[in-house]
Amino acid sequence: MTTDVKIKAPKKRRNASLDKRKARGGWLFVLPFVLGFVLIYIPIIIDSIRYSFSLASYADVAGAPMNFEFVGWANYSNALFEDANFVQNLVKGLTDMVMDIPMILIFSLFMAVLLNQKMAGRAVFRAIFFIPVILSTGLMESIEASNTLGQNMGGADGIDDGSGQSTAGDLVSTLDLQQMFDGMAVGQGLVSFVTNAINNIFDIVNRSGVQMLIFLAGLQSISPAIYESVQIDGASAWETFWKITFPMISPMILVNAVYTIIDSFTTNSNVVMNFIQNIYGQSMEGKGISSAMAWMYFLVVLAIIGIVAAIMSAYVFYQRKD
Amino acid sequence: MNAQNIDNKPKVQKETKNKIRVEFERTPLKERLKAKFLSTFFLQKVVFYIFRLVLLVGISYIVLFPFFSKITGSIMAPEDFADATVRLIPKNVSFDIYKAIWTDNAYLEAFTNTLLLSVSTALLQTFICCFVAYGLAKFKFKGNGLIFLAVIFSLTIPHQTLQFSMSEKFVNFDILGIMQFLNGGGINILGIFKYTNESLAAIDIIPDSWEMFIDGYAMNLTNTFWPLIVLSICGLAFKNGLYIFMLRQFFRGVPDELEESAYIDGSGIMRTFFTIILPLSVPMMITVFLFSFSWQWTDEFYINLFFPGSDTVLMDDIYRNVPTTLSKLMDTVDTDISLYKTAIRNTGGLMIIAPLIVMYLFCQRYLIQGIERSGLTAD
Repeated sequence: MTTDVKIKAPKKRRNASLDKRKARGGWLFVLPFVLGFVLIYIPIIIDSIRYSFSLASYADVAGAPMNFEFVGWANYSNALFEDANFVQNLVKGLTDMVMDIPMILIFSLFMAVLLNQKMAGRAVFRAIFFIPVILSTGLMESIEASNTLGQNMGGADGIDDGSGQSTAGDLVSTLDLQQMFDGMAVGQGLVSFVTNAINNIFDIVNRSGVQMLIFLAGLQSISPAIYESVQIDGASAWETFWKITFPMISPMILVNAVYTIIDSFTTNSNVVMNFIQNIYGQSMEGKGISSAMAWMYFLVVLAIIGIVAAIMSAYVFYQRKD
Repeated sequence: MNAQNIDNKPKVQKETKNKIRVEFERTPLKERLKAKFLSTFFLQKVVFYIFRLVLLVGISYIVLFPFFSKITGSIMAPEDFADATVRLIPKNVSFDIYKAIWTDNAYLEAFTNTLLLSVSTALLQTFICCFVAYGLAKFKFKGNGLIFLAVIFSLTIPHQTLQFSMSEKFVNFDILGIMQFLNGGGINILGIFKYTNESLAAIDIIPDSWEMFIDGYAMNLTNTFWPLIVLSICGLAFKNGLYIFMLRQFFRGVPDELEESAYIDGSGIMRTFFTIILPLSVPMMITVFLFSFSWQWTDEFYINLFFPGSDTVLMDDIYRNVPTTLSKLMDTVDTDISLYKTAIRNTGGLMIIAPLIVMYLFCQRYLIQGIERSGLTAD
């Protein structure tokens, strides 16, 4: 008996210490982020909120910190009630987002399912599809934007610069499509939705790279055994998709929906963000106002993310792991 | 029916002690082909195959065509743009646009500077994100969930919301007064840091309500690489939340037994991480590196924010200088061709992303591998 106790006691202690060591190790790993978040990021956020309540002006001496004067809700009321364009832009930006998100989600899921199948040249197609993720960001986006602007002003056509309209214009004419749909008894809204989607296909392909990646990775994690057993039971490809793939990938759909919302409202091409950026650059008063606008926009989008996540998570299927 | 059954009955041809050789009477070739190719199953397969191929090729075209047209446009001579018969294949090849952009901008300088910046930040981001993601994925400690929430939160806040305060933060960079302390004597600690005015302390510039701005000795980090490097070290730079999320999911897929066996063999936590986990996750790390590198390379926002009036030439400056090159080149052409303008802008863009294209050609293999091995799960 006594020997038993002696053996047990140190074992217990060692277990506890391993757990503790692992906990300490965990803290060590996340330390850079935690330090940065607490010491740099949170002050930045607090400052940003403060600035949205104040009027900035240049310091009296060059190189000194700026002066800030507390003005209460003035920036917010200025943005909402005095600025003629902010609310309009906000509404436009939000409707754009609501239109774009389902399209990007459907497209990226569809492409991911296609790219996940075994076929000749799969690696080549994958490599091509991820080009936009790497190359069509930041500066390239700005160049595309200035091209479209120049084209609209110059009225040029001919060479395709990938600015969206002309690409789709070469492939299918919007008018043809509209005529085709006119014969069917579908609502005008749906028609414009579909034609919009085809017109913006370049944009959508560009913006769904990361989503495709996340979906592909999700598809890889579905066990092949499930597909095998379904096949033995005689399910068709259609049934397999809706009964197996879709539920299994549904957590990824939620993740992607949230990511797409975040991504679409933080990109440079976003209407509201561009507007805010302009206000920011215009004047010193604009800096406070732009902060106020950005915070309002952020809160609205956060609310949308919350609603979407709440609705979708009710339908998301999580596989139980035993 | 009956007759057929009898016909198809296997005939035992030869029987030895160990082997039985059986021969079926084969259905005729015509019948076999009919069964194979005239079924709805086969038809479905063919239709689906064609549909898939058309779709994939079509979308590849949409992705690749802009690049193709940009490249051909960039080597066209000005007269080709006026010629209506020339559309995609240039008649007169000229490299004037490339030459003009190369000479008007310090392209090489911009290239080396941007390379230095992108490589350093991307390497830092990759390793820091690996660290944080591994800590979040494999260790249970109090506050794990809270930190993950903070990661997602940092991804959610748009950088435009924070731009003003972020630039202010790095113009007057100070953490808990440490910088002020280090910098107090006005000694240049690191040559890279630039001061704000030392004589500020003497002048009363402090507004009553903003006491946090008292320190006149804080450092001005703008126009150096430091703001981006500091953000990278903390895993707070552009889209780092996404990298941490991706890597965390990847590490969750790595079986615990791997580390447990390493621990039993006496390897410490750090050693296990560096010798076992990191080599496993190389494709995933290359994916993250590729993202952070190329997003930093084409970044415009942070460069504008942190390099407001700098002598450091970056890729962003090339983009901003294109209009001057454009007006110079347009002077040499007598007519105002808007297509030529577009081509000049596109060439500028091509020269900016040329290194990325080369890199992508080499790295896409790892990107695909990274996807294949990631096995994301969202629980």
